[in-house]
Amino acid sequence: MEQHTEDNIEKDLAEDRAWAESLLNKQSLSQFNLSKTDAPFNYFDSFSDKVMQRIEREKIEKTNSKIFFLPSFMRPINKWAVAAAFIIVVGGSFIFLNNSVSKKTDASIVANNISLQDLSSEEIESYVDANEWIAEIDVQTQMQKENARLSSLDEKQIEEIKKTITQ
Amino acid sequence: MASDQELIIQFQESINREANFTALLKKHQQKVYYQIKRMVTDHADADDIAQLVWIKIWDKLDGFKMESEFTTWLFRIAYNETLNYIQKQKKQLTSPSNNDLIEYEHATASSDSPKSTEIQIGLDSAISQLPEKQKVVFMLRYYEGFDYEKIASIVGTTIGGAKANYHQAVKKVEGFIKQL
Repeated sequence: MEQHTEDNIEKDLAEDRAWAESLLNKQSLSQFNLSKTDAPFNYFDSFSDKVMQRIEREKIEKTNSKIFFLPSFMRPINKWAVAAAFIIVVGGSFIFLNNSVSKKTDASIVANNISLQDLSSEEIESYVDANEWIAEIDVQTQMQKENARLSSLDEKQIEEIKKTITQ
Repeated sequence: MASDQELIIQFQESINREANFTALLKKHQQKVYYQIKRMVTDHADADDIAQLVWIKIWDKLDGFKMESEFTTWLFRIAYNETLNYIQKQKKQLTSPSNNDLIEYEHATASSDSPKSTEIQIGLDSAISQLPEKQKVVFMLRYYEGFDYEKIASIVGTTIGGAKANYHQAVKKVEGFIKQL
């Protein structure tokens, strides 16, 4: 069936070609070809230069797109990419700096704790000695407060306190 | 003049790439241009497509393995680029109306090109009415003299398909001309 169809096509093609050649003689075909496909004067003389210039231009464009690390299909959204990158850099810096400050504070606290723990007895005593007058003032103040309190007590309460102390 | 194969080998070996490519281009530029122009008719469009074709050839020539003839590959690219261009431009290549036919005759009568006969106008209309593939097959067979194997390779069909397309094209042209 298929062979029969193919044979028919071959036969038809041969007949069609004969018909087409009689109808479309070489002269009219060549005239048709010319009239339909006329190119502007000197078009082909400069066509190769035009193509090479365009190839050079596209080479430069490709190189530029590589420099900016963005393929051409991404260029329409590069302003958003720049904005996002800016936000990330600023935000990241802010977070980083905050972390640095808190770490410093912690560090200083830790440093203080360590230094207090590391203080020797001599250092503590010398500190106390240097600040003894402050301590004395505190003691005096406290004694005055107690005296004031005691003076407000009656004799019976005083006797009871004495008994407690001697026991 | 060096053969296509020699020019391509030298190009691929980076020996005077631009000179070899230009030689190849000059050898085939007219055929490519005419083939495209028969499909799009407008010179500016044909010029643009032809440039795109050769830029693509430049980009891909290093990878061309010469398993087929260079002209087969070249015309296949030209055919595909023309179809892509037409789809992008959303142009309908319909036959000219009667008014257009009259304008065409006046235009060619007044220009320096040979005067068109009525049969040529009819042929022009008939061919332009063909579907894209049939039109290309018809033109490649009649104007370029390619065999069916080559035509099939260019348009991406079988040899039988190419023959069938040609057969259909001729039948339609015959029918259209008989109506005139």
